[in-house]
Amino acid sequence: MCGFLGISIAAVEVIDDRGKTISLASPPQRLISLLPSLTESICALGKCNHLVGVDRFSNWPLSLQNLPKLGGMSDSNLEAIVQLKPDLVMVDKSSPIISRLEDLRIPVMAFEIKTMADEERTLKKLDLALGSKEAGRVWNQIQAEITRANKQLDGSQKNMRVYFEVNAAPYAAGRSSFIGELLTRLELNNIIPESLGPFPKINPEFVVQAKPQIIMLSETGVTDMKKRPGWADIPAVRENRICTFKKEQSDVIVRPGPRMGEAALILSQCIAEKSLSSK
Amino acid sequence: MPKHQLYLKLLALFAVSLILIALGCVFGSTGIDWRFTEVDRTILYEIRLPRSIGAYLAGALLGLAGAIAQGLFRNPLADPYLLGSASGALLGVGIILCLSSVGEYSLVTLIGINGGAFAGALLGVLAALLLAGGYKSSLRLLLSGVVIGVIFSAANSLLTFVRPDLYQSLQSFMLGNTSLITWNANLMMGLALIISILLTLLLSPVLSALSLGENTARTLGLPLDQLRLLLIAVLALATGFAVAQTGLIAFVGLAAPHLVRHISGGRQRVQLILSSIAGGILLLGSDLLAKSIFAPLEIPVGIVTAVLGGGYLLLLLRREQIGIRK
Amino acid sequence: MKISDLNVYRGPCEVLRNLTIDIPKGKWTSIIGPNGAGKSSLLQGITNILSTTGYITIDDVNIQNLDRKARAKAIAWLAQNNDAAEEFSELTVYDTVMLGRIPHQGWLHIPSSLDHQVVQESLNKTHTQSIASRFLHELSGGEKQRVLLARLLAVQSDILLMDEPLANLDPPHQADWLIWQKELLAQGKTVVTVLHEIQFALKADHLVMIKQGKLYFEGASKDPATHRALIALFDGRIHLEKLGNEWISLPV
Repeated sequence: MCGFLGISIAAVEVIDDRGKTISLASPPQRLISLLPSLTESICALGKCNHLVGVDRFSNWPLSLQNLPKLGGMSDSNLEAIVQLKPDLVMVDKSSPIISRLEDLRIPVMAFEIKTMADEERTLKKLDLALGSKEAGRVWNQIQAEITRANKQLDGSQKNMRVYFEVNAAPYAAGRSSFIGELLTRLELNNIIPESLGPFPKINPEFVVQAKPQIIMLSETGVTDMKKRPGWADIPAVRENRICTFKKEQSDVIVRPGPRMGEAALILSQCIAEKSLSSK
Repeated sequence: MPKHQLYLKLLALFAVSLILIALGCVFGSTGIDWRFTEVDRTILYEIRLPRSIGAYLAGALLGLAGAIAQGLFRNPLADPYLLGSASGALLGVGIILCLSSVGEYSLVTLIGINGGAFAGALLGVLAALLLAGGYKSSLRLLLSGVVIGVIFSAANSLLTFVRPDLYQSLQSFMLGNTSLITWNANLMMGLALIISILLTLLLSPVLSALSLGENTARTLGLPLDQLRLLLIAVLALATGFAVAQTGLIAFVGLAAPHLVRHISGGRQRVQLILSSIAGGILLLGSDLLAKSIFAPLEIPVGIVTAVLGGGYLLLLLRREQIGIRK
Repeated sequence: MKISDLNVYRGPCEVLRNLTIDIPKGKWTSIIGPNGAGKSSLLQGITNILSTTGYITIDDVNIQNLDRKARAKAIAWLAQNNDAAEEFSELTVYDTVMLGRIPHQGWLHIPSSLDHQVVQESLNKTHTQSIASRFLHELSGGEKQRVLLARLLAVQSDILLMDEPLANLDPPHQADWLIWQKELLAQGKTVVTVLHEIQFALKADHLVMIKQGKLYFEGASKDPATHRALIALFDGRIHLEKLGNEWISLPV
């Protein structure tokens, strides 16, 4: 109807996390994602088959194996991206390649996903941009899984003091990170207070003083963690309530994407197991 | 400098050191907590005390190494890392992290990150020596050190590119970390420090003679090449032991000798000992600040050493204690 | 000291060839020659800073067979223009002169009372005792040179090699230097100097002329044959005149 007026009105207008408006005449057919959580979100919304290229670290679902890999965060392969003639490229807000892509007139949508609320918003925006209508369903599924995870834990396990270590510096997951949010939904007591931010670098002495009953970290760091001075006396170490994650599980947990529900289940499963074995 | 003045200065510095160690027992993850007696015994004896003493020992090792480096190369910008020991240590850590498979108790786990850093540091210096063909001239050796440093850094970058999951662990090693020092580590560093100081004091005439020029030093009958190689060995060992426990802390080795130069009266032996003590004080002081300013958040200690050491150097420069020649 | 068939190498380059020189004991020998002839290299060859082939003997003892310390005690060397890393020298005058005692000290290099005595004497002789506690880098050129000479004296060797010892010295101190020379010779020491001040060279007992890496002439400095050789060495651009008991040289 508007067409014969000679004015092209965009079929879709989305505002990304930079506040920039991206206009799309029709739902984009050729998609590129340069962030694993975005890739997984796109696939969860049913648009996996529209992906023509992903970043090096996107490894789920397995059907992505055959797609061209376009580099990591700081070294995206500009030429390869352009050659694939994408209709829309989705990146993290901090990606250095954004201005180059826009110079080349390739539509770019930038996201910043640090909390659960961010992911909810991202799903909705992707819905709009990609023309899917699945955001609500996906989000509800995530919530359902989290609720189920919560139910896996009984009263004695809830309110346990938990310490989640992201890496051996040590950097911990605070309450305002999405991992922290999951822990809160599982009604666990994160020893890191809210005031310290999402991923603080903390004094290991603090962990010893806080005496967490559960420690969670990736399995590569366990042996060194137990050797730290004073850590042998921590209840979690003494009673061997240490949840370790293999690489595949780590991938699920550290990505604030549609598999957050699964992440919650991994966490709760581990806690349930550890409580059983130490009884 | 008259003897009694020297002893007074030493005494003062020792007193400062002890005070700082005591403070280390009081400062902790709860900030500055003067209720000393209420602190958990574990925390006090297993964590704070070894950490404070360890930071001091590591700083002392680095300060000594820095003084040796500056004396050997006659260069005020020399630091313990310039012969490739830093990038070697980093590469050692990277390789160990790469090879650690989970659950296996293999040679790799036995060596651990500390062992990897130590071996890497030594291998870095060895590589620089081999590349230079021995200690033929200071310039040649320094250039080799730079080349080895660059090569190993590139290898490191390649490593983090292939295994990006290791990047954060390597970063924390690069910025230095004093928070996990054990009593065992203190034993090793203490022994290393004693041996290094004794050896260096024995070898210090070489450093003094070198200020007359390499050729003159040779005509004084000193076995220059052997003695210099020995000093490099001490340098590598001291740096290796420090780096193995605390990672790559910047600036301590560079700044400590400058901080004491104006009170050491030009005597090489005094300069070496004072540099060591100054290094210990600098690192321990930085550690205290790093853990208590935003407790329980920890600032990377390398940042604090740069600010403290750099700040004091600026002060000295302004007061024209350094670098004034006719 | 006898030098026979000496070749001196700086790295792979041969800088001196087939030198055979007889340096008389207890006398002052001056080495003279145009720039770049290899005079400094000769001294550096004798002290084993540069590698050599050939023989160097002192009293018929081949010094190449001596160990480092013995060699250091026998021969003391003063570098040209002080190749020290000046910027960074934080030695005091006293400590600098004490460095000259290194060949005499044991493993631990702790100064003995004899060492202190010798250092004090050396300071007195070079009139530097008043600046003994000043830092080397604070001194003027002349003061520094005197301190380095004191360091040389402190070695108490029988043979002293000096490369351009008069650099930076003003005339009064140059005159002082001559006095020290006479004292050293009176004590029976053998002195070999590289000097470009021909006036001073002529005051030596023995002259060795080096040109383009080879021995040009060797002889007593008062000998007319030596004078003729000297004039020829400088392509006839100098003229020698007798003034009282001394010879002086004037450019032509």
